[in-house]
Amino acid sequence: MTQPRPQTPKLRIGLLRLTDSAPVIVAEEFGYFADEGIDAELSVEPSWANIADKLTYGFLDAAVIVPPLAFAVSLGLRGAAEPLVVPHVVSLGGNTITLTPELTGKVRAAAARDNLIMPQAFAAVLRDEKPEGLSLGTVHTYSTHNLLLRYWLAAGGLDPDRDVRLSVVPPSLAVEALRSGKISGFCAGAPWGNMAERAGVGAPIASSKDIWRNAPEKVFAVRARWMDDHPDALIGAQRALLRAAQFCDAPENASYTGALLSRKKYLNVDSHAVISSLPGGSVSLDSGSYFYRHATNFPWRSQAVWFLEQMKRWNLVAADTDAAAVAAQIYRPDLFRAAAASLGLPAPRADSKSEGTHNAEWKTESADGTITMGPDTLCDGARFGA
Amino acid sequence: MGLRIVLIDTDGERARALEAQLTDSGFAEVLHVMDGPDIVQTIDRLKPDLIIVDMALPDRDVLDDIRVVSGAQPVVMFAGGNDPAFAEEAIAAGVCSYNLSGVALADVKPILASAIALFKRYHHVETELAAAKALLDERRLLERAKALLMRDRKMSEPEAYRWLQRKAMNENRKLAQVVADFVSQQEKGLKP
Repeated sequence: MTQPRPQTPKLRIGLLRLTDSAPVIVAEEFGYFADEGIDAELSVEPSWANIADKLTYGFLDAAVIVPPLAFAVSLGLRGAAEPLVVPHVVSLGGNTITLTPELTGKVRAAAARDNLIMPQAFAAVLRDEKPEGLSLGTVHTYSTHNLLLRYWLAAGGLDPDRDVRLSVVPPSLAVEALRSGKISGFCAGAPWGNMAERAGVGAPIASSKDIWRNAPEKVFAVRARWMDDHPDALIGAQRALLRAAQFCDAPENASYTGALLSRKKYLNVDSHAVISSLPGGSVSLDSGSYFYRHATNFPWRSQAVWFLEQMKRWNLVAADTDAAAVAAQIYRPDLFRAAAASLGLPAPRADSKSEGTHNAEWKTESADGTITMGPDTLCDGARFGA
Repeated sequence: MGLRIVLIDTDGERARALEAQLTDSGFAEVLHVMDGPDIVQTIDRLKPDLIIVDMALPDRDVLDDIRVVSGAQPVVMFAGGNDPAFAEEAIAAGVCSYNLSGVALADVKPILASAIALFKRYHHVETELAAAKALLDERRLLERAKALLMRDRKMSEPEAYRWLQRKAMNENRKLAQVVADFVSQQEKGLKP
């Protein structure tokens, strides 16, 4: 007869139908969570609102989530407050601003003709052709997509609240909204920009890297209560995610990961659309997601501060919010270092870095060496924390 | 006077049942039953006091953003925070509500309670249907496995059943799993 099993903590993880859900799906399918004695249960949710509510009321323990929404849940900006912690970043990059092919063509032509950066060219085309403004979709009010799109528009001299009409369009509905003319463009995570391109109704004008190079995208957020009840299991879950991150980051695994994600129970889309934004499968160099390289998974507090300051800029959080204090409470580089060390992987020594000051690869110190980091410049050349 | 309610649900039957229930109760006027791409315009036009939405719809992210469009100061119903158990019950049932005009929680509660009860009942029926379907699939596979054994190994039906039972016991697995694997292997032309 089998021995009674030791208690295996249950970890219910929410995710959406997005390419950067890859590491969590790989960790589950390869048994990495099971290796750590964790009974993980993945729940593919139809909306960010569901993820937020289910985290708030304890129907999920953790989620692959956009950082602004993790702050909104922790601070109670859209419902009751429920403290979350972020010990691990899941992905860098991967978002695309997609416009109608006609509009993208005009903007690119204007950029080339007048030697403008892309957001300036977009603003010029808008003034000439659509002075009344046009509609652009983002995926949720508290999303990286909303903040990156607003940053990009502002970099071109536009006021996102006055010169265009921003609205929320779930990515799975964005292709249809673009086709019907309800919106002229949208900013969403992979694979949805590529889906619009494949459907012939959209063409990319900018990706995450054109707005903020190596921009942090999804994070793994856990309810603080779950962490308090299962401190060892949390480190175990992070180890599972780190192992999966290395797999997903390796170019030779792109077709495997793409096929896995395209399954009906996960993304339920054409695997080619998924592969196109995986490392090794990217249609154009550097346009997709990263999952491990350049210390992807390290929760830099300076990046939490960047998001919080942008939320202040657009009145999405109270102007007197202490960004550094909130970042310190939610982003937990100490937990990342504990998990990385137990696998013999390096971790940055500093909790924060300057953002927007590195325009080429650079090195940051780890406990016993250095880690190669990617560039982190922004489209308007702004520097933060420098 | 009744509250003006917009009901967003793809399940037409459930939506109609809830509409009837709320209208009968006299405290609500159901304005619209719909889903689709024009939620924002519809809500802007109808200016409801309350929206009840099926949590299975991606449109919830649109509703989260609605304050920008409506200019009203909508409150996510559960933001009141004074009754988390009620919110939990609603979420477990798969229904969420958005309160647009600042009607007091007490006034909205019986309406939402009706919705919760109805969503629960429908969820229950769905779960039962899924369980019944799974049982039918298992039976069908068992019959197929027995037929294969009877044809290929000249077993009688009781022998075939005992063979499968023994295999499950030896491998310490559920009979249904062993049967499913056996049938799929046979159909791929592999020997067990």
